[in-house]
Amino acid sequence: MSGVLAFQLYDWRYFFAELVAGFTIGSLYALIALGYTMVYGVLKLLNFAHGDVYMVGAFIGWFVLNALGSPLKPVLPLVPLLALAFAAAMAGCSVLGVLIERFAYRPLRQAPRIAPLITALGVSFFLEQTGVLLWGATPRTYDTYDLRKGELFGSLTAGNFSIAYVQIFAFLASALLMIALSLFVWRTRTGKAMRAVSVDPEAASMMGIDVDRVISVTFLLGSALAGAAGVMTGLIYQNLNPYMGFGAGLKAFTAAVVGGIGNIGGAMIGGLLIGLVETFTAGYLSSQFQDLIVFSALVIFMLFRPTGLRGTPLLQKV
Amino acid sequence: MAPLLELRGLGVTFGGLTAVDSLDLTVDEHEIVSLIGPNGAGKTTVLNLITGATRPDRGQVLLGGENLVGLAPHRITQRGIARTFQSLRLFLNMTVKENVMAAEYGRTHATIVEQMLQLPRARREEREIHAFAEERLAFFGERLMGYRWNQPAYSLSYANRRRLEIARATATRPRVLLLDEPAAGMNPVETHEIAELIGKLRDDGGYTILLIEHDMHVVETISDRVVALDHGVKIAEGSFDEVATDPRVVEAYLGTKATVTK
Amino acid sequence: MSAPAPTPGAEPATSPQIGVDEWVRRSGERIVGPAGALGALRRAAERTPWYVLLAVFVGLVSAIPELTSNQYIIGVAADTMLYVLLAVGLNVAVGWAGLLDLGYIAFYGFAAYLYAELSSGHYNLHWPTWQSVPLVIAATILLGFVLALPSRRLSGDYLAIVTLFFLEIFNNFTNNGYAWNWLGFGATHNITGGPTGLTNVDPFRVFGHELTNRPTDYLWVATGGFAVIAVLLTFVNRSRTGRAWRALRDDPLAAELMGMPVKWLMLLAVAVGAGVAGFAGTVNAAYYQGVFPTTFYFPLLITIYVMAILGGAGSLGGVAVGAIVVNVLLEVLRTPNHARWVFYAAVLIGLLAKVRPWRLLAGVLAGLVAFGVVVNQVVGAVWPRGVHGAIAMGPTSFTTHGFFATCLRHWLVLPAHTYEASNYQIGNYAFVLTIALVLACTAATGWKRWVLLVPTIWGAALAWETTLIEQAPTVRPLLLGVILIVLMATRPAGLFGKTRVEVV
Repeated sequence: MSGVLAFQLYDWRYFFAELVAGFTIGSLYALIALGYTMVYGVLKLLNFAHGDVYMVGAFIGWFVLNALGSPLKPVLPLVPLLALAFAAAMAGCSVLGVLIERFAYRPLRQAPRIAPLITALGVSFFLEQTGVLLWGATPRTYDTYDLRKGELFGSLTAGNFSIAYVQIFAFLASALLMIALSLFVWRTRTGKAMRAVSVDPEAASMMGIDVDRVISVTFLLGSALAGAAGVMTGLIYQNLNPYMGFGAGLKAFTAAVVGGIGNIGGAMIGGLLIGLVETFTAGYLSSQFQDLIVFSALVIFMLFRPTGLRGTPLLQKV
Repeated sequence: MAPLLELRGLGVTFGGLTAVDSLDLTVDEHEIVSLIGPNGAGKTTVLNLITGATRPDRGQVLLGGENLVGLAPHRITQRGIARTFQSLRLFLNMTVKENVMAAEYGRTHATIVEQMLQLPRARREEREIHAFAEERLAFFGERLMGYRWNQPAYSLSYANRRRLEIARATATRPRVLLLDEPAAGMNPVETHEIAELIGKLRDDGGYTILLIEHDMHVVETISDRVVALDHGVKIAEGSFDEVATDPRVVEAYLGTKATVTK
Repeated sequence: MSAPAPTPGAEPATSPQIGVDEWVRRSGERIVGPAGALGALRRAAERTPWYVLLAVFVGLVSAIPELTSNQYIIGVAADTMLYVLLAVGLNVAVGWAGLLDLGYIAFYGFAAYLYAELSSGHYNLHWPTWQSVPLVIAATILLGFVLALPSRRLSGDYLAIVTLFFLEIFNNFTNNGYAWNWLGFGATHNITGGPTGLTNVDPFRVFGHELTNRPTDYLWVATGGFAVIAVLLTFVNRSRTGRAWRALRDDPLAAELMGMPVKWLMLLAVAVGAGVAGFAGTVNAAYYQGVFPTTFYFPLLITIYVMAILGGAGSLGGVAVGAIVVNVLLEVLRTPNHARWVFYAAVLIGLLAKVRPWRLLAGVLAGLVAFGVVVNQVVGAVWPRGVHGAIAMGPTSFTTHGFFATCLRHWLVLPAHTYEASNYQIGNYAFVLTIALVLACTAATGWKRWVLLVPTIWGAALAWETTLIEQAPTVRPLLLGVILIVLMATRPAGLFGKTRVEVV
């Protein structure tokens, strides 16, 4: 590895490719991070199971693609096919998220904070192993590389620099979803109710807000975004296995914390940041010890800025 | 004689709100000073500033001439200041006696290794901790004695919880006791008992007391001096009669019309 | 503490005078303690002095190699004692001090690897046991302090996050540590042996005698270590540090303001727990003669957490019992025939404990039997092959003979030539169906709940027999997850923990 470092520093094509890759994975992390941050906002709960909802979304997408012929000989044209995969994944994950909240977390509303955290660990384990049970631990692929003669993986090229269509798609789709979410949270009544519940659930319920329904909607939205991220992961990286939720979930969850847990804009920024840091670390420093370096950097970051980039410190009334 | 507790120019601002503004306050040894004022006047914030729970932006807190600002809260407590809380903060899952024993931590020195091996110093300190806790609880009469020692704190009645909190505070061997609304939520009989207790704390216990209180009967009965606060600023100081009739105090509590009609 | 003198002319009190001291003093007699067999056990345990319980436990466990020569059983006992040590160490930070330490397993792994580095052929250092073990424990304690330093500025949730990061860092390092080269600025070192780990680790050598009689020697080492650690920890728990930890768990702010140095106490709790894990790590490395990265992954952390919470976080004896229960359970689940007993026993115990009155219980049981038989008959008439399957006895053996087999074949729908050939489709459908029914059962109220309970249990039994029973590696974590979910919802204090009152 020695010596390679110097060489790559001066290769702009490599730099650009890493930048694009970083933004791509960063967008996906941002989508998943939004679910973590919204749920923390309304429930003050770190939903460890969220990463596994993302995994389920990826698998739902796989089943849709394979139900409609095979990915290599699809029954539908490209756009409706993908749209259907996304819709199914987002719908399925929404239902899953709402069910998890209703049956695992709701009974623990009045319990000390540590209890739903531990339940979340249990749900995460349960989902992962159900995946293994039903779908096997062997990785599956989307097999969409050659879809319509590789159209998805064609790229936009300008001189030495290129971006794959699928990467543009991921970034744009994520941006679109995030804009839609922001509009929802800041411009609709339910969004306002969500923000109210984040600040003070008791007061919100006294103002006539149905806190249970708001929390369910929060889980619904967050899980839908995770489902979309799951399908996109399948399209870009092709690989799925029941344990993929753990790693991606941890990174996305970190992104939410870095951005300031509870802050929606922060989750988006955090996601992109983590994606870029991770990609550049792997590309320029070491791909083997990528996790070690990134997590160490995060620990140091947390020491200096525990509430994240845009978080507000938790005030205690004495 | 120099005051035991002195606040000089103490102030803190949260965001845009100045909670406490350049407060000067003294409490002489063995004095009972009451801090009064309408809700939101900053009284509890003053206690938080003194005990180090909140860091002041400006000013000094002097205990026996020594500035406490910047010290960690547990060190401030070890120097000799203890408090109770407006909304009780007992260790609910520990027994009555354990609540008091826990507060003796700052005055004992046995290290964890000594505890593990039950070396002489650890065993001796443990005996002393037990004895001192019983002594502190005995101060409150029969209410917290005997079988009560081993009952979990959450099983106590409200009034007993308030007493336990005071007992726990005294277990840190303070020179100054800060009591935050000790009579809150009590019926007249209990209120009278608490007022007597505070007097006893000063007379028999030798503590210096700064208390926040809304119940004017209590304030009138036991205070040597009264300080009134409004919006973080000291608006009056003196004996109870002087402060109670001070027009600025009346206005703070009852509004301008009250002073006009008086 | 006598009752107040009655006022003259008043009637003598004939009913309990609530609030009067005499009445309150005797309230202990009226306390309804934990009920049932478990309650009686708890009360007996509370009455016995702790050192007696410890001595009895240590005596019983140490006697196992004398009572049986079955190496498998002794091995399970040795493994269990390692888990007991881990659970006890985790209990210090999580149970006593109330800190959520999600990186605990990193201490275990660090100690195991460090011992392997010092006492093996890897660097050709063969440090004697009396040198390497204390050093490793000390180093792990130091690591505990270092890892807990971020807690000084972080609280609760954030501490959990940072400790989880440490675990990931540790896993990344052990997996890839065979080619460590300081990012290209130094020579490449093989520090951790990578995914294949380090082997040829020295066994313990005490008093000139090498401990090579596995697993018996290590069962005794682990048990002896546990005895010493339990004594030391109990003394700490009953002293000012233990009280300060409990105060910190209840209300950190109040604890700080009552003179307790909260930050230091948090460091201490993590470090002490790390020390216990450190000892366990050395035993692990010497016992298995090797260390591997996959041992110290997140699933092990969850397993220890389940043990601690099931046993009752905050109770040293409780978590030890929890460790034993969980590990024995997981061992039993390895063999399909044994796993079967566990399942049906658990269902029966669950029903007996929770379904009252007796008539309702009888009704549910009768309905369960009837439901199964009816379905079996209906399916059998339509699809004969659907009920001709055998039941699993071992990993590859199936049988249709025997009392139990006959019962099950007439009660469940066991299709022939499906799951026996590892085709688990039927089982998968049954599994998903059961989950849906469980959720419906939870949501239903009143009589509907009891009615739904019947197909739920039946579906669970079907899923158990046709897929789960044969897939132990998947069922282990599945079960752990379910235990966590159910525990937190129904009995967060576990078996021997005290129910806590929290100010939310």
